[in-house]
This record gives sequence, structure tokens and C-alpha cells, in this order.
Amino acid sequence: MAYKKPLPRINGDNREFWEGCRNHELKFQKCASCGHVRFPPSLVCPRCLCRDVEWIASAGAGKVYTYAVYHAVYHEGFREDAPYVVAVVELQEGPRLLTNIVGCSPDEVSCEMPVSVVWEDVTPDISLPLFRPSV
Amino acid sequence: MLDAGLCRNVLISYGHNALSSDSLLAMLMDFAGDDAVFGHFGATGGYALAARRAMHEFNTGPQTWKHIAVGQRAWANLNPHAVMHGMPMSFDDYLSSKYVVEPLRLPDNCLVNDGGRAVIVTTLERAQDLKHRPAVILGLGQHNPSVQVTQSGTLAGSTGARKACETALSMAGITRDDVDACEIYDCFTYTVEVTLQDYGFFGPGEGESWFSEGTIGPGGRMPVNTSGGQLSEAYYMGLTPLSEAAMQIMGRCGDRQLGPATNTAEPNIVLVSDNGGILQAHSCCVLGRI
Ligand SMILES: [Zn+2]
Repeated sequence: MAYKKPLPRINGDNREFWEGCRNHELKFQKCASCGHVRFPPSLVCPRCLCRDVEWIASAGAGKVYTYAVYHAVYHEGFREDAPYVVAVVELQEGPRLLTNIVGCSPDEVSCEMPVSVVWEDVTPDISLPLFRPSV
Repeated sequence: MLDAGLCRNVLISYGHNALSSDSLLAMLMDFAGDDAVFGHFGATGGYALAARRAMHEFNTGPQTWKHIAVGQRAWANLNPHAVMHGMPMSFDDYLSSKYVVEPLRLPDNCLVNDGGRAVIVTTLERAQDLKHRPAVILGLGQHNPSVQVTQSGTLAGSTGARKACETALSMAGITRDDVDACEIYDCFTYTVEVTLQDYGFFGPGEGESWFSEGTIGPGGRMPVNTSGGQLSEAYYMGLTPLSEAAMQIMGRCGDRQLGPATNTAEPNIVLVSDNGGILQAHSCCVLGRI
């Protein structure tokens, strides 16, 4: 059955990130000058404006910075998921990622809860980094 | 522009058929960008993330926000133009209403309505012989942290409100103690709390106690959003709070008029806020009588 939810719009800035995801790797830009690890991908470092980067792979572990439980359905693709959890996860490497918490009920989610990445292959080209409670 | 003589009068207007068209929803869906991949849409979700982080950092939540929703609804019931006029709300009504994006319930959200609002800004000299006494701009301040929302460390405050308010009060040459009423941009109840908190009316987590006992409602010691605000009058972006402050100062508010009619202080100084994005931009204005 065709995938019914919105897909990411790949562009020159985020291509490396989503290609990493396809290989189940969470990749972030690390500033070659000040070492700041950033997200979303950008041309210059928001801390020091340096243009040089290396891409690092995250270990995929972090904690919930904040979260929201969607009871309302804004898009038909999410009707069967509601209530579902949208969260901002802070990775150990520093950046925060908007994502979903899966593998537990919404009542079990809390701020600062440790979580780990889990991959959802939604099309042959796109895999989404979701997070579940760390065991 | 007025001071420089480039123009004589400035019309600031807003109108939107937000209820009878799909344009608001279309704008918010477009605004979502790739957040839509994870089912994150619109403004309620963004403010729910902010409100949840605030609940983690200090004492807040529905027991605080119910005072804001109910207090503003009481004002709306004195305003025949308000969308929610004639629809009283109790704490139980608030607490039993459904979640939209938890922790925000339906009455934590501003209204979606058709309509418009406008104000005219002119020189004090020109305003002297107008029919109503003028609402004078005494101070202005802006502060725009503008950080990408998920990377923002300020969802639970302090937001841009703190510096914007300091700047505005300083330009007006007054202190917070001189403020008689507030008209606060209230896209969500939590926005009212975090704005007043950053303005220094109470410390983090002290909102529940500050708002209780009808502080912001008719007869309260610090009236807030006296038209019902965006939660209970109508949503006209920043013009809901701005126009209400001007009307109160002019004395054009009928049953909800600040002063003896509502057992509140005369509106000699009114603090007005506007707020953009998910707490990413803030402007503060002091309006008053001179
Ligand atoms: Zn750098």
C-alpha cells in the first residue's frame, strides 16, 4: 500500500542527512573550526560562521527535551496513529531533532527520558529516524 | 515617519476570512515544512512543545492556564462583539474540554474567525482635537531571539519578552508598578503566562498563585485581555491586543470599560504585547494617557 504521510523534501542542504538515514545512519555537520555539531544542515556554522564541515555519525542516543501528544488529526495519514507523540530529542552529540516517540504509550513519555533511534523504512529511498525508550 | 513629516496618518489594518475559507489551515500546513513528515503541524503543536517544556522546568500546567482561559472569558461576556459573548466558562468546563495537542486543550487555543480590525496612528498634535482622548505611544521595545524552534533553549523562557519589556518601560520612563492593565498577545493561554512571567509580574512557577482569585478578570487587580482577547473575543493577530488597549485608554469600551464600571484601576498606562513564531519574536508597547 502506498505511503500516505508527507515525505521530506530533499534539497542541497539536507541531501547528505537523508542519504545517511537511508543507510540507517544519523549524520550531522560538525564545524571544522569550532567543533559545534549542528542541525538542521546549513551552509555556515551558526556559532562562528565558518563554512568548513565534516559529517559525523551520531550514536543515536539522547533524551526527550520536550514532547506533545497529538489528539487532533491535521492530515489523514496520521488518523490511525492518534494520539501520537511528536518530540524534540536532544542527542548526546548536541543537536536536537524533531521526531516521534514510538514503542510506548503517550502516557509513558516524559521530558529527559532516555531514548534511542529506531529506523522506519517508509519508501525505498526514505527512512525516518524515530525514537523509543532506551532499554 | 510621522515625526519626519513623511506622512500624516498611518492606517494599520488586518482582515481575514479565516473561518469561512481554508487559507489559515493552508498557511499553517505550508509553515510545517518537513516537520509534517513526523505529523507536526500548525501553531498548536509548537506551543504544546513549549508548554510541555515549561511544565518540566517549573510549576505550570492546566491548573495555571484555567485561570487565564476563564478570566478572559469573563471579559468576553462583557463585550457584545466577542465571538464567545454569552458563553460563560467555568474551571470545570475548561478542565473537561478535549485536548487538541496535549497539554493544550481547545480553550487554550485562540479563536479562528472572520473579521478585521484597524488602528490609525497620527501625531499627538493632530490627535488633540479628535473626538476621543488619544492613546499615546509612550514606549516601544522589541527582542527577537529567532532561533530555530527545535534548537531553542528558551521555549520555557526567558523569551524575547523580557528585553522587549525592559526597553519599552525604560523609553516610557516608568516601572512595572505603574502599569494599570495588560493586553497580551494570547495565541495560547501559555503565551500569556510566559509573557507576564518574562515581564516580571511573577517568578517562574508562581503564575498559578498570581492568576488565582480572579487577578486578571473584571474587578481584578491586574486586568488582562479585557476584550476577551484572542482566546475569547477574536483573532486579529497583534491588532486584538493593540486595538483594545487604545479603546480602553480612549474610554470607548462600554460594559467592559476599565475604571469604576468594572471596579478596576483607571487605564492610565496599558502594557501591550505582540509575539511571532513559536516565541521567536516579541514586541512590547506602552500606551497611555497624558
Ligand atoms: Zn563553528
